[in-house]
This record gives sequence, structure tokens and C-alpha cells, in this order.
Amino acid sequence: MPTDTTGAPDSGERMIPQEELRRILASKTVAILGCGGLGSNCAAMLVRSGVLKLTLVDFDTVEAGNLNRQMFFTDQVGMIKVDALAITLGRIDPSVNLRVIHECINAENMLGMITGADVIVEAVDSAETKALILHLCGREVPDVPLISASGLAGHASANRIETIRLADSLWVAGDLTSDIRDGHALVASRVMIAAAHQAHAVIRILLGLEGA
Amino acid sequence: MKVDIALFASLSGFHTEAGDGHTRHYELAPGTTIADVIAMFGLPDQPRIVFVGGRHAEETSELHEGERLAIFPPVAGG
Repeated sequence: MPTDTTGAPDSGERMIPQEELRRILASKTVAILGCGGLGSNCAAMLVRSGVLKLTLVDFDTVEAGNLNRQMFFTDQVGMIKVDALAITLGRIDPSVNLRVIHECINAENMLGMITGADVIVEAVDSAETKALILHLCGREVPDVPLISASGLAGHASANRIETIRLADSLWVAGDLTSDIRDGHALVASRVMIAAAHQAHAVIRILLGLEGA
Repeated sequence: MKVDIALFASLSGFHTEAGDGHTRHYELAPGTTIADVIAMFGLPDQPRIVFVGGRHAEETSELHEGERLAIFPPVAGG
């Protein structure tokens, strides 16, 4: 029987009609830490799916080199990423309710960024900052689901990217090993697949399909 | 005491017990801490996160009979 990678048999889940699905998702808040390749694409997929309350966090500005994989456009080069992404998300759904934070994530400010979030998405690029986010969330908000990503670089098979539940409140999307520090390129298709895994994990959690 | 230890991704090659998958069974002395296990395996000094029984844990924590320790090293890219 086909199963998802978190172990739950898809065939055993109740069917949620579209209207109910969007009503549930619209009532929830998701914090996205990092709005680059993972975060910008994940945010767009969540808004298209009906998640309308988002906190967007990123310190950076849009560069031409980001356009090969990030949800930005040529006329947004030079803009603050969270501001550019807010405009794009508003074009997808004008009713979107955004909290936009243009700051670098650190141990002092991170907890304030995730206040009120039903689910947190870790979407930064540095391994050190990923570890910081996982560490602080695990210690300070251990019951808030956290969706991380690790191992999305390079051009290996897309089928190696999966979603794994590593701990009670931690899901990780990726192949766990492909590291940009090993010289792997970042390819839009693989980055966006990992972002889609993250968005889908968020949706399943918000719908109550991932268990306690 | 018996403890299960899961080493993910690049750390899986540091297991000293034979077996498949991420997790192996180990016999450890009472009072062994997570930091002791990290030193025992000679894990590289790189970003990592540790869990005991599916919950976040500090590396100074002592392990206990029957617990499962998981160590995960996030890699860069996003």
C-alpha cells in the first residue's frame, strides 16, 4: 500500500472538501524564517492553498542571481525581499494578512518573530542558522510544529527529496545530505520541490493529518 | 545501560556498531552524557541538533536506560 514518508497511509485519511480545507487553512498562522529559494516558493504555495496569515522574515534584498530559483521578478531586483514577496502574495490573494520582518535572524530576536505561529517554516540557507532555529524552537516552543529543509542542492534525482519526521515536532524536507558547501549548484526544480514538500507538510499539519 | 542511537545523514558513517538504517543499539556506562557519546564517535565539529525520545535535548544531558538519542546535522542550502 502506498504510504507517505511520515508513515501515515494516505488511504486511511478522511477526505476534506475544498471549502472546509480552505476554511481551516485561512484560520491558521504560519511563520516563514527566510524568504529565498525555499521560503518565497513555500509562501506562494501556502497562499495559493488558502493559508492567509503569514509572518515573513528575511534580511536580504532581491538580486538578479536569485531569479533562477526564487519567487521574485526582474522588476523587483534591488527591493527588500520581504516587501517584494508581500506584493507578489497580495497579487495571488489580496486578502492575505502579512506580518513582514526585515531583520537578520539571531538568538535574541527569533522568538519574537514566531509569536502566534501555528507552524514554523525554517527556510534559511546557512547550516549554522538552521541549527540555531532548530535548537531554539526545540527548547522554547517544543510543541509548535517546525518544518525544516536540509539537502536540496545539486541535480541529483528529485525522488531523493522526501519529508521525514525526525522528532515529535520536527519535519525535515530534503535528501539530508546535498550541501552547497560541497560545490553543488542550486537548481530551481530541486529547490522548489523541497519548498513544495515544506508547504505540503505545513498543510497536512494544519489539517490535523500528521498526528500528535 | 542500553540506548538506541540514531545518526543521520553524513553522521551515519560514524556508527561503531554494525547494522542497517540510522539507528543502532549501544551499551553505555551509567551517567554517560550526550557530549560523551559525541566524543566517543568522534563526530565532526559542525552544526547539529540532538533529540532524546523525540524531544530537543542539550548536549550536557545524561542518557538513561532505554532512551533513543538522535543526532541530526543540517546542511546548507535554501
